[in-house]
Amino acid sequence: MDWQEELGKNFQRLRNLHGLVTGPEPTVGQTPREEVYKKNKSRLYRYASPRRQATPLLFVPNLGISRPYIFDLLPGGSFIEHMTREGFDFYLLDWGVFGPEDNDLTVEDCVTKILPRMAAKVLESSGAPELSVLGYCMGAPISASFIATRPEIPVRSYVDMAGPIDFSKVGLFGLWLKKEYFNVDRFVDTLGTVPADLVRAGFKLIKPTMDLSTSLNLWWNLWNDQYVEGFQALNRWANEYVAFPGEFFRQWVRDFYQENKLYRGELVMGGRPVRLENIACPVFVVGAKEDYIAPPACVRALVDVVGSKEKEYVELPGGHISLIAGRGAARHCWPKVSGWLALH
Amino acid sequence: MADATPNQLFELWRKQVEESTQAWTRLVSQRAPTVGPPDPTAFWRPVLDQGFETWAKLFAQTPATPELLPQWKQFLDQWIEAWSKVLGQAMGTEQFAKLLGQSLDQFLATHGPLRRAAEQQTEQALQALQLPSRSQVTAVAKMIVELEERIERLEDRIDAALRRLDGKEPK
Repeated sequence: MDWQEELGKNFQRLRNLHGLVTGPEPTVGQTPREEVYKKNKSRLYRYASPRRQATPLLFVPNLGISRPYIFDLLPGGSFIEHMTREGFDFYLLDWGVFGPEDNDLTVEDCVTKILPRMAAKVLESSGAPELSVLGYCMGAPISASFIATRPEIPVRSYVDMAGPIDFSKVGLFGLWLKKEYFNVDRFVDTLGTVPADLVRAGFKLIKPTMDLSTSLNLWWNLWNDQYVEGFQALNRWANEYVAFPGEFFRQWVRDFYQENKLYRGELVMGGRPVRLENIACPVFVVGAKEDYIAPPACVRALVDVVGSKEKEYVELPGGHISLIAGRGAARHCWPKVSGWLALH
Repeated sequence: MADATPNQLFELWRKQVEESTQAWTRLVSQRAPTVGPPDPTAFWRPVLDQGFETWAKLFAQTPATPELLPQWKQFLDQWIEAWSKVLGQAMGTEQFAKLLGQSLDQFLATHGPLRRAAEQQTEQALQALQLPSRSQVTAVAKMIVELEERIERLEDRIDAALRRLDGKEPK
């Protein structure tokens, strides 16, 4: 490398910086889809495939925090595109962006009212006798609760990706949300909806150097057009936070973070006890080595408690987001998940 | 003198970092007298020393090459990572969680009454203008959500009845 080459890079950096500031935002979520069903703010989308796999996949992401287009960020860098290319009919549950009118929505409503309906619609739309379920992040404990309480739903296999199960091992959020420090009732009673700005503040606080290292890496790679395109899409997603419905947040923090009821088997939803040992289908659990939102130990706990005979845990490189989005995910994670699902 | 300048700059920078770290350590110590605060010097010192040595060597080379830049980037990465660990350790203490909870309580204590007062005033103003207030609009939206829920329950019942009629499900 010489100074002339470096000078050339700097010209490219300036050009891309200009594009970043003045250019249009990249188009995200380009994989073709159709809306199969809607319930209040929630939508069920079907991403059709060549259907080489007989069992459709219902994908349950987190509710609140962020938008689900991270799973279909850009062509060539999309989890959904990968899964459909592998022959899975992919059904994405988009929980939606909730408003103050949804403040009474609880985790229990999601488990007992929304998910059963979405699963039924997947079966109806695909014509398949059974479905597989994949829960990511918060979507994992929610979907695991659903499968554990509804044995009549024909779930062929279940995947938990970076979804916390044992909340006693959930890291910084677990500590900050402890009963003695965080009064969730006062919080929800005062605010009603948990605003997106507070969600943002919480996530920024958990990794305060993130913005600094992101900016440094952007400057360093600013000459690289491909990097800049990916950065723009990811940056758009990373700055689009979503509020929590008040009652959902109350139950989520109290029952899951503070009392660890799911792991302890003390949760009751829709009058039915939520016992993870009732999950009998094959289970695949994926943890990320550098995940500080759902550390591997709290994710791994699922394999210890399910009643399944076939269960497997893998720990992959990356963090909470890079497990499912980006080049590392395409190399390490997606083929593992699609490969396991194809065999189960 | 040519390579003394960067050395002096690094010495100055090192001193500044050290002083700010000590101030930060003192602050944490005051807040948490019973449990010892994490030792941030354990993280930043090796990184800073290594970076300082590398840069001193590089600046001694003549002429300077663009190879300096990846070294500088690597140094910054290590520096950020070291601080990330320090902060992570500090934020992972019961003292920090307690402080955070107290700050949040203070925020709620001031925000709550302000929010209620603002809502009341807005509501009154909208009422005077004969316009629907936020709470009224929210109430209507809630009614629609409940209505949708009722329709879905009816649909379920009709589906179940139809399945029974088709003989797919036992009565």
